[in-house]
Amino acid sequence: MVPPARAPIRTDRLRALNEPVRAAVECDDRGRPVQLCLGDDPTPRAIATLVEEWRLDDEWWRDPVARRYVEVVLCNGKHLVLFEDLLDGAWYVQTP
Amino acid sequence: MQDERVLTSDRAICVWLASFPLRCEHVRRPELRGGAAVLVSPTDTRRVWQVGAAARRAGVSVGMTVSQAIGLCPSLTVLEPDPVYYDEQFTHVLEALERVRPVIEPTSIGCAYVGVDGVERLYGDADGQLRAVADGLARHGPLASTAWHAAARLGWGRGKFTAWVAAARARPGTPVTIADRDRDRMLARQPIAVLPIDVAIHRRLRRLGLTTLADVARLPESALVAQFGAAGGTAWRIAAGKQHDPVTGRVRPEPIVLTLRLPVPVADRTMLLHAWRMLVDRALGHPRRRGWRIRAVRARAHLEHGASWLTDLTLKDPTAAADHIVAPLAARLDQSPPTGAAVELVIEFTAFAPGTEELQLFAANAASAARAGRQRALRAAAQEIRTRFRRPLLHHVVEVQPWSRLPERRYALIDYEP
Repeated sequence: MVPPARAPIRTDRLRALNEPVRAAVECDDRGRPVQLCLGDDPTPRAIATLVEEWRLDDEWWRDPVARRYVEVVLCNGKHLVLFEDLLDGAWYVQTP
Repeated sequence: MQDERVLTSDRAICVWLASFPLRCEHVRRPELRGGAAVLVSPTDTRRVWQVGAAARRAGVSVGMTVSQAIGLCPSLTVLEPDPVYYDEQFTHVLEALERVRPVIEPTSIGCAYVGVDGVERLYGDADGQLRAVADGLARHGPLASTAWHAAARLGWGRGKFTAWVAAARARPGTPVTIADRDRDRMLARQPIAVLPIDVAIHRRLRRLGLTTLADVARLPESALVAQFGAAGGTAWRIAAGKQHDPVTGRVRPEPIVLTLRLPVPVADRTMLLHAWRMLVDRALGHPRRRGWRIRAVRARAHLEHGASWLTDLTLKDPTAAADHIVAPLAARLDQSPPTGAAVELVIEFTAFAPGTEELQLFAANAASAARAGRQRALRAAAQEIRTRFRRPLLHHVVEVQPWSRLPERRYALIDYEP
């Protein structure tokens, strides 16, 4: 078999875009986020409204992914999308 | 066809490889080492152009006729110049320097300036910058295989003139730094020979009893301008420390190069001119030339027995007419004909000016030339960032699994290598 002449793709040089960023989220008794701390910043930010909520289940045939996404509006008017990893309960911020 | 935006730098390192052509000959012909050798001038083959140490000890000096030189030193080896080879070697030197900093300005063969503004975080102070340049030459220069890279004299200063004075005072392997606070004091003590002015003006200044830059700076500027015109004004401003010429990074054109191998060696001027004319016509017909006029031409000839001939022409008015290119070439052939029969001719169009609007309309690939120019500019910028930060900081986005429901799987960043 003739090997391809093209230079090999250096997958080690690829860096994923839009990776989830860990967030500390505090929820009310119904499991809805009420405030969060982003990254290393310990300042809690209050959540004003929940805009939308949806669930994502994927790759159940190898490493299952189960996430609960929530779009929220902070008190300063900023929109954020958070998700809860339903397998380990951790929260993340991510742009969908 | 070329990017007119150039990088400049106020602080400079002067890299001076004295007698560079002769050094090239010594590298190429090791048997010359230790012997007395001179190079004859490419423009006047009866006169000595460069003198080796042994020949100098025997009393041979630059500008002497070859017969005088042989009279003084009967064992003298007289070498024909090979300007094409020297130019190639010097290009390697410039490429080595470009690995250290992209702002490089060559002024003459064997002398170039490296702009070092903004490299403190990368190389440290002036000493660190000088070390980086010396290391760059040692590692990548054409002389890396020999110990001759140590022959480079390096000088650091604000502006090209100060850097040049520092390099002229330096010994090989021991660079000299002229700090801003010492600059005026150092320059004041320098002989007027360091001023970049015509020999005749030097002579007249000496006859007027002026020996140092301080003597020149003490005169009113108007007096020097009245005596020597614009050159006098430049000399006064440099001597008085009023003028700092920044290093201006060279524009690297993408030349159009055409070669003609002659079936038999040709020495006859008419035949040579005819061959050049054919080459110029063919080069003007190159698709990349369309819509552009020629501003600079380099003509090279490889001669029998390994010698070469080279001339650079800068046209007063950019042109796309073969006659206007061949005429100054003919004049150069008359002034300094090749020293032997030519076996190969090369024509290079090295700088271009936009043509008239009509020409531009018909420029089939002017747009692609512009794209190529942008690509070159991007490559230069990416190289600059890599050099400055020692890692690639430019990336582009590639699709990985754009259909994935997981956002982090869709796209990725990869190093941008234009």
